[in-house]
Amino acid sequence: MSVIDLNDYSVELMTAAGVLKAVDSVALTLEAGKTVTIIGESGSGKSTTAMSLLGLLDHGLAVSSGKASLLGVDAVKDRRGVDALRGRRVGLIPQDPMTALSPVHTVGAQLRQAVRRGRPGTSKADAARVAVELLGSVRIPEPETQVKKYPHQFSGGMLQRVLIAIALAAEPEILVADEPTSALDVTVQASVLDLLLELQERTGVAILLITHDLGVARLMSDTIHVMRRGRFVESGPADRLVNDPQEEYTRKLLAAVPSMTDAPAVAGAKGPTASGRRRADAGHAESDTDSAAPAAANEGEAR
Amino acid sequence: MFRYLALRIAQAILTIFVTVTIVFLLIRLAPGDPAYAYAGPLATAEQLDAVRRQFGLDQPLIVQYFHFLGGIFQGDTGTSYSFRQPALSVVMDRLPYTITLAIAAIVIAIIISIPLGVWMARRQNTGREATASILTIAGQSMPDFWIGIMLVTLFSVLLPWFPSSGFETWGGLVLPALTVAILQVAVLSRIVRREVAQTLQAPFITVARSRGVAGAGLVWGYGVRNSLVPVVTALGTRFAGLLNGVVVVEVVFGWPGIGSLVVRALETRDYPLIQSTVVVTAILAVLVQLVVDLVYPLLDPRVRLGRKVVS
Amino acid sequence: MSAVTDSVFKKSAVVRAARATRVKIIVGAVLTLIVVVPIVLARVLPVPDPNAQDVFLRLAAPGTEGHLFGTDQLGRDLFSRILYGGQVSLLIGVMAVLVSGVLGVVLGSLAGYYGGKVDAVISRLIEAQLSLPLLMMLLLVVALFGSSIPVIAFVIAIANWPEPARLTRAMVLVEREKPYVAAAVVLGVKRFAILLKHVIPNVISQAVVLALLLLAQAVLLESALSFLGAGPQRPFATWGRIISDGQDFIGSAWWIVTIPGLVIAFLVIGVNLIGDGLQQGSVGAAFRRLARSVTAMPGRK
Repeated sequence: MSVIDLNDYSVELMTAAGVLKAVDSVALTLEAGKTVTIIGESGSGKSTTAMSLLGLLDHGLAVSSGKASLLGVDAVKDRRGVDALRGRRVGLIPQDPMTALSPVHTVGAQLRQAVRRGRPGTSKADAARVAVELLGSVRIPEPETQVKKYPHQFSGGMLQRVLIAIALAAEPEILVADEPTSALDVTVQASVLDLLLELQERTGVAILLITHDLGVARLMSDTIHVMRRGRFVESGPADRLVNDPQEEYTRKLLAAVPSMTDAPAVAGAKGPTASGRRRADAGHAESDTDSAAPAAANEGEAR
Repeated sequence: MFRYLALRIAQAILTIFVTVTIVFLLIRLAPGDPAYAYAGPLATAEQLDAVRRQFGLDQPLIVQYFHFLGGIFQGDTGTSYSFRQPALSVVMDRLPYTITLAIAAIVIAIIISIPLGVWMARRQNTGREATASILTIAGQSMPDFWIGIMLVTLFSVLLPWFPSSGFETWGGLVLPALTVAILQVAVLSRIVRREVAQTLQAPFITVARSRGVAGAGLVWGYGVRNSLVPVVTALGTRFAGLLNGVVVVEVVFGWPGIGSLVVRALETRDYPLIQSTVVVTAILAVLVQLVVDLVYPLLDPRVRLGRKVVS
Repeated sequence: MSAVTDSVFKKSAVVRAARATRVKIIVGAVLTLIVVVPIVLARVLPVPDPNAQDVFLRLAAPGTEGHLFGTDQLGRDLFSRILYGGQVSLLIGVMAVLVSGVLGVVLGSLAGYYGGKVDAVISRLIEAQLSLPLLMMLLLVVALFGSSIPVIAFVIAIANWPEPARLTRAMVLVEREKPYVAAAVVLGVKRFAILLKHVIPNVISQAVVLALLLLAQAVLLESALSFLGAGPQRPFATWGRIISDGQDFIGSAWWIVTIPGLVIAFLVIGVNLIGDGLQQGSVGAAFRRLARSVTAMPGRK
């Protein structure tokens, strides 16, 4: 039973430079309990695919077309349906933990809000209790005290765990993980990924993983789709793709990885919860990133 | 956080000092005999001499300056010759009227501009917002005294709903407060719109949407709540502009506050009175700024708690 | 092959924003020109002498005997008074904008570029001044030093310099971090020269927007000053004064108060609209970047 089913799915962005086809006719299927990864460089459209699917792109900006089924809901036509799924049956783990939470609300408040959204009918007291439990389940020490803290008081790694807790608050069937470890130190990455795997085993949640990190993809995925400039260049079971890439581009991606050894100095080799799996070097697909637009100067308001 | 407060207070005091000094220097540097400035244009020779002695005008500037400062600390900023009373008491008598007007205007402005600004932020680039945008630009482009006169003409002369001047009844507060408020609403709502629109682009808003937060809860609970710091800052800065508006409006409506006082004082060249008014308004404005600065820690936990990282 | 039809595209945020910008600039330009052109051409236009009093035609309504806007309490033609008064207002406004602009840009650049103590002092100055209600102090200065055109222009300039200073400082801070500055330093170019030759020109492209907004504020401030009696008397009374004089005649001759006010409103609205539109336009380029960054969503800068 597939929880996500994309066929001939496209997303077009209406920009000042014209209409941009950010996602071009991609096809993807995600089954319950499995992990599907989209891997690609910056600007390849992988995040756009996920964001658009979840209905998080502004409709003055993005137009999606094709077939997209999200837990049975038509993601292209039924915006309301998708809205209802968010926070209940689908959760998002965002990329940068430092900017993902409202700075003026406590972590606990945001957690409780997610719990009450995801489990309708939960009382305030229950929500508070569940919030603490959730923090515990993502292995945050002393959850009762942490619940009262504000996001800026946490480190990146801890925040990412909090975000995972929030995403899980609703006991979702799908987790969309948008580059969940890219903003983290390599030592912390491993523990976060382990956590995700463990949660998947425990709850059977399906994961749609977006990443540019080959090591992460290799570790987590059942199926990998390689994305380039809006199209899926190659798709297939993780093992096969990694060991026997068919496409030129995939090969280049793999070749960009520094030589594969078991050297312990390499990313992810050490972690507090190193499991039996072999950790490969984390290879990064090299790419340029957009520079931030300089802050627009204020309007002259003094009078 | 205490360091922050101490800094703000120090700056407030510094600002007041500089203002007071500038006023002092201006009167002394202007063409003409400062003695006349303090004694009045009709002063006799003896009166001029008395003033010279009182203000030490024949003494070096530094001595005069300390004299002047000393006077201020003792609450003596000279004697108003048009009122024949200590200038400070004249000012303080009329200060409550100005403050009443200012508060009324601020309340109206906040009540209207925040919802209006949020409304505009949510509907950016729609026809309705464009109309609202033009209206707000118009609101901040019309001279306040002219708005006041127009309002008087409409609602006092043509439609006798409100009194056109003075403060005999509370109804007399309506038109002046509205006049001041119109400009402030125009400016403030644009600021609110800009800040809220900007906040709504932040990543945490998208993440909040991803967990199903939507509608008013999203916009007000997350969007506005996170925009409060810049909006409150704007309110604080606007207070100075508000006082400017109050001065002009007081003249139009004959409102018995310090605005109309200072204009009259200018006509009679009553410099001690002008001086006192300037000093008092400066202190008032700076105090308001300080209060606004003190409110920040309440709004933003990052200021309140400092940045201690838990890893 | 695209799902983006023309009608969909027309409703997109980008197209709407562009349209709004265009409308603003056009409407703003029209309003501004309606006011400015006649004023500039005042001496060439066939208008009566603004100081010519006509006892028989006092308080005449607009349209009477060739008086387009009517006459005031002394029988003087309102239209020409508005035009000639406007010349004085605009002159003061332009002077004030130049002085406050130059002062603000210079101080803002110094603060942004050199940082440290220089920045601290200038920033504190800006903050302090912005928190003070200046109108009364300005009135004091005019009372002391006379209400001549240079004094008033100067006084308005002093009131207005913090805004350009603050903006310039912010922009210089951004520019300073850019690679070409570091490159120039490495090549041994003296810091001041860098400031002059490279940073400021890049920053001056915002100057037009700034100047427009300053002009708007200058015109409003000047009209307030002259309303309160602190405006220029020679050679011509400006709009604020005309309105102030006309207050007594609201019932009988509403045009004396209403029309000059409308003129001010048109001018300032027009200038503000142009400024607003231009600001939005430069944000349009950022839109492209926004669109690209939106695909990466939370976290990606």
